[in-house]
Amino acid sequence: MLKSKTFVKKTRSGGILKVVREHYLRDDIWCGSEVCVECKDESPVLEKDPCMESSMCTFPHYLIPDTNVVLHQIDVLEDPLIRNVIILQTVLQEVRHRSAPAYKRIKDAIHNKEKHFYTFTNEHHRETFIEREPGESANDRNDRAIRAAAHWYSKHIPDSAEIKVVMLTNDRLNKEKAEQTGLLVYRCDEYIKSLIANPELVDRLALTSDEKNEITSSKILFPEHLPLSQIQSGIKSGKYIQGTFRANRDNFLEGTVFVHGEGDESTEILLQGLQKLNRAVHQDVVAVELLPQEDWVAPSAVVLQDDGSKGEDEEEEEEEEEKKLQTKQVHRDSLKPTGRVVGIIKRNWRPYCGMLTLSHIKESTRHLFTPADRRIPRIRIETRQAATLEGQRIMVAIDGWPKNSRYPRGHFMKNLGSAGDKETETEVLLLEHDVPHLPFSQNVLSFLPSMPWAITEDDMNRREDLRHLCVCSVDPPGCTDIDDALHCRELENGNLEVGVHIADVSHFIRPGNAMDQEAASRGTTVYLCGKRIDMVPELLSSNLCSLRSNVERLAFSCIWEMNDNAEILNTRFTKSVINSKASLTYAEAQMKIDDRNMNDDITKNLRGLNKLAKILKAGRIEKGALTLSSPEVRFHIDSETHDPIDLQTKELQETNSMVEEFMLLANISVAQKIYDEFSECALLRKHPSPPPSNYDILHKAIKTKNLVIHTDSAKELADSLNQADIEGFPYFNTLLRILATRCMMQAVYFCSGLDSDFRHYGLATPIYTHFTSPIRRYSDIIVHRLLAVAIGADSTYPALMDKHKQAALCNNLNYRHKMAQYAQRASVAFHTQLFFKSRGILNEEGFILFVRKNAIIVLIPKFGLEGTVFFENKDKPSPKMTFNEEVPTLTVEGHTFNLFDRVRVTISLDASNIQHQKIRMSLLEPVIPGVSVPLPEAEPEAKKAKLDR
Amino acid sequence: MAGIELLSDQGYRLDGRKATELRKVQARMGVFGQADGSAYLEQGNTKVLAVVYGPHEVRGARSKILYDRAVINCQYSMATFSTAERKRRPHGDRKSSEMSLHLKQTFEAAVLTQLYPRSQIDIYVKILQADGGNYSACVNAATLAVIDAGIPMRDYVCACTAGFVDDTPLADLCHAEESGGGTSLAVALLPRGGQIALLQMDARLHQDHLDTLMEAAMTACKGVSKVLDEVVRQHLQEMSILTGE
Amino acid sequence: MAADMRLPTVRKQVSLSGSKSAIASLVVPGDVITTDTGFMRGHGTYLDEEKLTASVAGEVERVNKLICVRPLKTRYNGEVGDVVVGRITEVQQKRWKVETNSRLDSVLLLSAVNLPGGELRRRSAEDELSMRDYLQEGDLISAEVQAVFSDGALSLHTRSLKYGKLGQGVLVQVSPSLVKRQKTHFHYLPCGSSIILGNNGFIWLYPTPGQQDEDAGGYYTSIEPVALSDREVISRLRNCILALAAHKVMLFDTSVLYCYESSLTHQIKDILKPEVMEEVVLQTRHRLADQEG
Repeated sequence: MLKSKTFVKKTRSGGILKVVREHYLRDDIWCGSEVCVECKDESPVLEKDPCMESSMCTFPHYLIPDTNVVLHQIDVLEDPLIRNVIILQTVLQEVRHRSAPAYKRIKDAIHNKEKHFYTFTNEHHRETFIEREPGESANDRNDRAIRAAAHWYSKHIPDSAEIKVVMLTNDRLNKEKAEQTGLLVYRCDEYIKSLIANPELVDRLALTSDEKNEITSSKILFPEHLPLSQIQSGIKSGKYIQGTFRANRDNFLEGTVFVHGEGDESTEILLQGLQKLNRAVHQDVVAVELLPQEDWVAPSAVVLQDDGSKGEDEEEEEEEEEKKLQTKQVHRDSLKPTGRVVGIIKRNWRPYCGMLTLSHIKESTRHLFTPADRRIPRIRIETRQAATLEGQRIMVAIDGWPKNSRYPRGHFMKNLGSAGDKETETEVLLLEHDVPHLPFSQNVLSFLPSMPWAITEDDMNRREDLRHLCVCSVDPPGCTDIDDALHCRELENGNLEVGVHIADVSHFIRPGNAMDQEAASRGTTVYLCGKRIDMVPELLSSNLCSLRSNVERLAFSCIWEMNDNAEILNTRFTKSVINSKASLTYAEAQMKIDDRNMNDDITKNLRGLNKLAKILKAGRIEKGALTLSSPEVRFHIDSETHDPIDLQTKELQETNSMVEEFMLLANISVAQKIYDEFSECALLRKHPSPPPSNYDILHKAIKTKNLVIHTDSAKELADSLNQADIEGFPYFNTLLRILATRCMMQAVYFCSGLDSDFRHYGLATPIYTHFTSPIRRYSDIIVHRLLAVAIGADSTYPALMDKHKQAALCNNLNYRHKMAQYAQRASVAFHTQLFFKSRGILNEEGFILFVRKNAIIVLIPKFGLEGTVFFENKDKPSPKMTFNEEVPTLTVEGHTFNLFDRVRVTISLDASNIQHQKIRMSLLEPVIPGVSVPLPEAEPEAKKAKLDR
Repeated sequence: MAGIELLSDQGYRLDGRKATELRKVQARMGVFGQADGSAYLEQGNTKVLAVVYGPHEVRGARSKILYDRAVINCQYSMATFSTAERKRRPHGDRKSSEMSLHLKQTFEAAVLTQLYPRSQIDIYVKILQADGGNYSACVNAATLAVIDAGIPMRDYVCACTAGFVDDTPLADLCHAEESGGGTSLAVALLPRGGQIALLQMDARLHQDHLDTLMEAAMTACKGVSKVLDEVVRQHLQEMSILTGE
Repeated sequence: MAADMRLPTVRKQVSLSGSKSAIASLVVPGDVITTDTGFMRGHGTYLDEEKLTASVAGEVERVNKLICVRPLKTRYNGEVGDVVVGRITEVQQKRWKVETNSRLDSVLLLSAVNLPGGELRRRSAEDELSMRDYLQEGDLISAEVQAVFSDGALSLHTRSLKYGKLGQGVLVQVSPSLVKRQKTHFHYLPCGSSIILGNNGFIWLYPTPGQQDEDAGGYYTSIEPVALSDREVISRLRNCILALAAHKVMLFDTSVLYCYESSLTHQIKDILKPEVMEEVVLQTRHRLADQEG
């Protein structure tokens, strides 16, 4: 059965190596077709009557695409219409080498049973394997292999079946050669255009290189990219530098290349001007060449957007840009290393959301697409549905960026819905932040417990029965996924017993099943305004795991014995069954505590907890825990229209901090326990202390108020924040805390076996993890599992003990966490816009948070809203401005703006650009002639009253 | 760049084998006239020469003599040209002494050494080409050489490696698979009784997977034993025909 | 000087066709020979949970209730009375150690040798000191097995004029199993050379001596040059023996002689070329077969 064939490879690493690998050829690889009688395939993939109606191929047929077709036309291949495709192993391997995303997508397509994609292992088939001939390039060999396999198929499938094999290729040479051997072969676009069922598929065709040349034979705009081999040798010799390109969000002509150095030595190289950027797109891995020092420039603080010139001719735009470039070169104070892109090492393109900007010529099928992400350049696409796509949010993929084209070329993928529509916008922001939000698949749901669900005898025997305890939960109003509950009681010896009971999600989600994998991939529940993207299916999140009152629920309990001074005498963990006596909101709980007339068990419970929490908190602050602040807003959402009707900052009550205190305590106790038990693979959370330079802005800011702040340690920072107060300016402290928050580093999950620094800076604790919210965070589920193993309540499984798998999981969780935060912010911003849209123009008091070269950033405490007041305007001459970076201050027409200054601004919605609607703020007070705006009429107020109902 | 895919979705490995399939094993016995026993074995591209001298008087230090059984002396070495990169390999480096020790332990378990008190059996193995599974190829070749030398053994000792990729055990790893990361388990087995002469694994593996991996390795060993058995019987037959009459 | 070089080829084994018997009795290590407990365990077998199991690859031999497995190739297992040729490896107190291709070095006691001066000479302390004068490390001797020790080591003696130190000649080493047991292992071949076919596979070729001096006691070594013709004969015989051994032909005076005669048409150095070897051995086999038949 086995035929052995050895071949020799030469690879280069230091010297020439001769690599000899075995290559077995087999005769038990089946063709995978239902019609075939020779092959003993048990479950053939390809259908008996493959029906794809095409005007060119009127007979039933199977498709064999070549590598480039799969790579570039994956959008088309993914369409449900395309079925019965034979993906050759040669093709699959080439795709794998060249593009990871395309590889993943084609694999998904292969796994999809509906699609009837079959992978034919032609490289190991005795009759389709071919050897590379002397002088033949690897690509040519692969093309020949594809032809050989196609040929084999056309011979192999019995004539009686009347099924033909159609090969798709865009390579002219390949096509000619295939035709010579008598194969049916078409260009991909020819074939797709001939499909009867779905003419729209044509739009999704990626443009091939042949076509590009036809479109623009005009002048060459960009320097040629160097070939990869040259780049590699250049990088080796130090001539070029490799890094990740990051486009500037505010200036489309500028970007930086982030170079990963060894250790902490990462540097950035500045790139300015279209020529220097040389077709790099955000997140691409590029090779740059440093310019000589005399050509170095400083980063411009100017905001420059590519949206000024809508649909104009390319030439005109060019000129305009050149002008902008020149104005920038005036600033030459702090020069940065500057370079130019010489080649792209790896493109990191993904599908982009955005909107279509229609061409001025009506009949034109070529249009510009403006992505929602400002860092992505506009993309030229070809579509016939332009009219229907206008005003719609669409998804587009980039196909390439030829050197004679101002914009990259792409193709249309999907229509998301009309812009401005709440559903569509939410979809866009989820897509743009890479939040998995599709409904749970059937496969995932199949792992849910069957309803009606009840606690079994077996469960009862394994768990501690804590139903008699007076447990209650305290949460924000409207919360349905209650994952924590508390109790507190006095013991006979006079000590207090405090218990934190966390929903036992790991009981329902068993390691490794589809539900677990889905949850691991989602990482966290994402809370948007008026919408929640669950990490686990709703049955669990809002019912079986939610610790609702007066039902029996499974819990994981952490129980301390404490004395009156809140000193922990004893800690234990147990799986338990509880029956919550009450689900309270923060406000309700607060009322119970404050109301002296109430003396029921729950209230006593709460009072005990509250007392302990205060001691705990004081202790924590003593150790240097930071109390930071960030403006948080809540929307009151209309229950019917789901439109925001009111906006208010979140209020904090004593009970908030009470619950928080015990959660922190539980997290710390658990962290210590799992680290003691599994020093190599405990999942922990750390918060690195920020580098001193992060505090520069804080130091500068506070100097203007003649105060000093110490940032040497968390403790000193906390103390100085507590002391920083100004008479008659109560909001100052909050402002300061907001600024301090911005100086902080991001807290991250990590695996204890791969790190040595465990400290949590903000909480001032040597070790920390997340244990208390398993319904909405996957990290907590892992911690639950670890803890369960540690107390012998559950068994371990391989991935849990593998520190590298854990580290990979942590990376995903950190990424999801970050993206969820961004999505959340974007959602708030969008709802803020909706809110102000209905309000018209408002005027409010605010404080200056930052000062920029041509603008000030103002915070409105009432809405927790941050906005930029620009002093430059397109249609007005710029006022005289001087910017002092040291203090920092900005002087406009004689008035100096300092940090923390009180100003009055008008707030309105700028809907001039439907894609990027934004809140516009204009200065009211102090009045600077020609800069500030007059007070708006009282009319909006009336409007507001009306809307408030 | 993505690493190599060790096991495709269709269940084929890099070289076209399925997960449980062995590489092609070829062997010859009695390749040297001078030695008491010798064998040459190819396991895929791993090529090994094994030579056995003895049992004979203990040479060198008298302190090595065991009065109840024979001393087994193994020496493992690799030819300078055995790997992709040409490299001088001095004797007695850490890796080869470890390998020598493992071979010694393996054969002490299989050879009936108590029949030869005060004597010594030398087993020299040399890797001519290394393509993964060096230890197992050495054991298999040495087994043939020992049989060729007419030294009594309990049973064949057959060795094979097994690795673990994507929760699937792979039998008889080649070099690319061995260096592709993941765990590799080497087992030396006395196939008839199913006793394990040596078990070696130097990467971490979760306990739950050990059984399946062992099972795969042991099945592979039994596969190897069939091939070796054939080689021995073939050799035996040829020889006995020559000397038979 | 012309060198003869050739590429490796698969060696063909010569055999007389039609002799495919005795296959059934071949076993390999681990094969169960019988589960019947009525048998006695012999060499090459062991008991594995009451089952008589082979420990070597070879042929099963049954002698009444005794079952042995004889391996095709093995080190020399000495038996009392065997003629061996060996090499002195060590001189110890009152004895020499002799390498005889056996599992342990054999012992030649000072008391088991004929010393100059007649059989009845007493061994004195002086003799012990001058042992090295008689035989020293590296010397070759012929001897007879006097006894076998429990650990398998052999005790030799040279108490006959046939035995003793060997002088000028050529040693050929072959597998012990190829040497046929015969009444005598000392032969004066008619071609002009003598041969000692040691049972241990060591074969000694030497020029046929003239009249032997009785009293030399075997310790006299002639250092006279050997005639060219004798050396040619010895060389030819050596190559013939190697050729026969390569084709696993049993060695005894007749087979060696036949082979010698068959090889005469070829040059001495050509005998070891595979094709010549094949031809010569085949002729030899035919002649042996004819003789038998």
